[in-house]
Amino acid sequence: MSDLDTAIAQLRACRPIPEVQVRELCYKATELLIEEGNVVGVDAPVTICGDIHGQFHDLMELFRVGGDVPETNYLFMGDFVDRGFYSLESFLLLLCLKVRYPDRITLIRGNHESRQITTVYGFYDECMRKYGSANVWRHCCEVFDYLALGALVTGAATSLEPTSAEYANEPSSQATIPGDDNEIEIEILNSEGQIINRFPRATPNGDVPSHPPKLDSSSPLATPTRTGAPGTGASGLSSGSTANEGGAVLCVHGGLSPLIDTIDKIRLLDRKQEVPHEGAMCDLLWSDPDEIDGWGLSPRGAGFLFGADIVKAFNHKNDLSLIARAHQLVMEGFKEMFESRIVTVWSAPNYCYRCGNVAAILELGEDGSNGGYVARSNGESGQSGQGRVGPGRRYRVFEAAPQDSRGMPAKKPVADYFL
Amino acid sequence: MAEQRQAAQIPNLLSLRGSRTSRGRGRGHGSPNLRSPEESREVTESVKDKIVQQTDQDASDSRMSAVSLGYLEDDFAAAFSNGPVNRRYPIINRGTYARTTAIDRLVDKFLSTYPKEPKQIISLGAGSDTRYFRLVTSHPDIQLLYHELDFADNTRSKINTIKNSPLLLKTISSHTDVDSIQISADGTTLTSPTYNIHALDLRDLAKDENIPNLPNLSKTTPTLLLSECCLIYLPPSSTIFILRTLTQTLLPQPTPLSLILYEPINPHDAFGQVMIQNLLQRGIHLQTLHAYSSLSLQKQRLKDAGFTGGQEAADVDFIYERWIGKGERDRVGRCEFLDEIEEWRLLARHYCVAWGWRDGVGGEGGVFGKAWGDVEGQDDGGGG
Repeated sequence: MSDLDTAIAQLRACRPIPEVQVRELCYKATELLIEEGNVVGVDAPVTICGDIHGQFHDLMELFRVGGDVPETNYLFMGDFVDRGFYSLESFLLLLCLKVRYPDRITLIRGNHESRQITTVYGFYDECMRKYGSANVWRHCCEVFDYLALGALVTGAATSLEPTSAEYANEPSSQATIPGDDNEIEIEILNSEGQIINRFPRATPNGDVPSHPPKLDSSSPLATPTRTGAPGTGASGLSSGSTANEGGAVLCVHGGLSPLIDTIDKIRLLDRKQEVPHEGAMCDLLWSDPDEIDGWGLSPRGAGFLFGADIVKAFNHKNDLSLIARAHQLVMEGFKEMFESRIVTVWSAPNYCYRCGNVAAILELGEDGSNGGYVARSNGESGQSGQGRVGPGRRYRVFEAAPQDSRGMPAKKPVADYFL
Repeated sequence: MAEQRQAAQIPNLLSLRGSRTSRGRGRGHGSPNLRSPEESREVTESVKDKIVQQTDQDASDSRMSAVSLGYLEDDFAAAFSNGPVNRRYPIINRGTYARTTAIDRLVDKFLSTYPKEPKQIISLGAGSDTRYFRLVTSHPDIQLLYHELDFADNTRSKINTIKNSPLLLKTISSHTDVDSIQISADGTTLTSPTYNIHALDLRDLAKDENIPNLPNLSKTTPTLLLSECCLIYLPPSSTIFILRTLTQTLLPQPTPLSLILYEPINPHDAFGQVMIQNLLQRGIHLQTLHAYSSLSLQKQRLKDAGFTGGQEAADVDFIYERWIGKGERDRVGRCEFLDEIEEWRLLARHYCVAWGWRDGVGGEGGVFGKAWGDVEGQDDGGGG
């Protein structure tokens, strides 16, 4: 067993590794990350994950639900640290896995991978508590500076490989069970791999092959339909995506920037620095989609809000079928917006041990039928206004790991309230 | 080395849970078999009381955190905080700010209506609250009679702090003759013509007879009752009786009287359920949460308690967005990065301020109707 495998085993048990090993690990990780572009190319199949925030036991649950590394390929969209009690173990484990299986796991930077934010939100304090000095925090922050800003997933299948999974609840006559001849665009599974819901893709003339599904209210997870929270404007299966060539999926922690209209402009940024307070790099890590036209000021004090028109234009110009991003808590674990042109994936269940939300991961399958999606042609999509067909999307929804399995620090209250 | 240190510092949650909840509290104090059921219940009750008393430390630390970061100005907070400032997360600081500012707004409107008339404030479960000191500093000419009610352990500690703080003593004595300030032999009660701290278990006000005497209480002065996360820890029936004693016996009609509540709401959604569980793990039971779970139920409760002049309520998210001007919100936003917008809204929608009043025979010109008539409440669609 190599040192790295020993470290992985130790971290999997939620035990920190010694400072000298951290230093060595961070050095090796930096050597790898320095070679990555600002936008990492990733081939499907891949499982896309949102914020983790130091919720180590829930990260273990994520691997249980999504499959272990290296059997499953993962793309984590940042915010590994802060808020939870085990930022250190969570980030170091992911970093070990990155060094051990560099082609199987992709890590991109979140707005919490920053010196300034980690001193406010807990990671710095955690390192001080666990090592008695800031050295480990400093090593980790140097790695943060080398993390990529985004990833571009290509080769994703436009429909999901049918699974033999059972329905979590016997579907009523109303529920959708796509026939064999229908492509499955979206499938939502619970943490036991049972189907909560399944959605067929609209046919080219816009017809939906079977009834729009209604989620059984007695479902064990209160996950809504593909739209996430109601009222997002993303309802209706007749929206947009009809079967044609698939486009690539851009993954980024926050969202878009008014300074960035092509992916190539992301590639030109000098990323190896602390996250700035403004500018393109800041925006990619801080911005949020919102039900507005154009751009708006963000209530977070950094980044921007961007509307459906911005996403539509960006995806069209860059030949994207979907933007996957994290950054915002969604109670249902995921939320598609703007006619499924952008999705928020949130992977920290019961966030901060307080919010009561479920988490989700997004699986994109490999296109085995025609060799994957047609390679993008740098902005020249040659598409009609219709846009690219989205990839087939399998969401696995999961709840927080059982509380008994976590060792919580006793001195610290589980979560703060106003008393 | 590092691992060992780590292991020693982070005890297992299970040991925490065991001692606080499932196994019963009697066990830690000796064999439960030797105790009568009555005795074990007393032990359990006293542990519970202790935990509720300690929620004051939580509130005090949160206040100090918000003050140290510039959210709030409070020259007196430091006097009540021991040791270094325990910095809270930005959403907690913002919540502390919104709660304090909302109640200050209502209190200020009350005090500045008919400003020459005497006013009385009774703060239930006041703990180490600094409001009296802030009010007499910001309203130097006010004729204010102030009472704080709390468990003897909390009042003793507060009075001890006051005795040892020249700033606090000076502030009290600037509004009353220093010789008129009297502290009981056991150090749990402070009386003066202006500021009073009463050691009192609020449940004693729920009794039918032998209602404790509150020295210096005026039965006729327009009075504001304050309950900041206080009544919520008592059984619903007790809170009804306590309010009845206050509104009918201690401060009978036609004295103008009002109540401001600050409490959690919305126990039924996912956030609310986790809140209940998390607090139960700390031994904190929010006993009236289900009975008054919404804004409309809070308003109805105020009406039922006799505050028939008017009842309003708003959650903290609403208050932050609607009561606080944009310039001030921008200032608060600059105190810290707040990266938790969704979480903030979620949290803030689970706390409310509710206020109701009766103006006695005052009618249209009544002090509370005049002070609060135009304060914007929130409609949760619950009717009532």
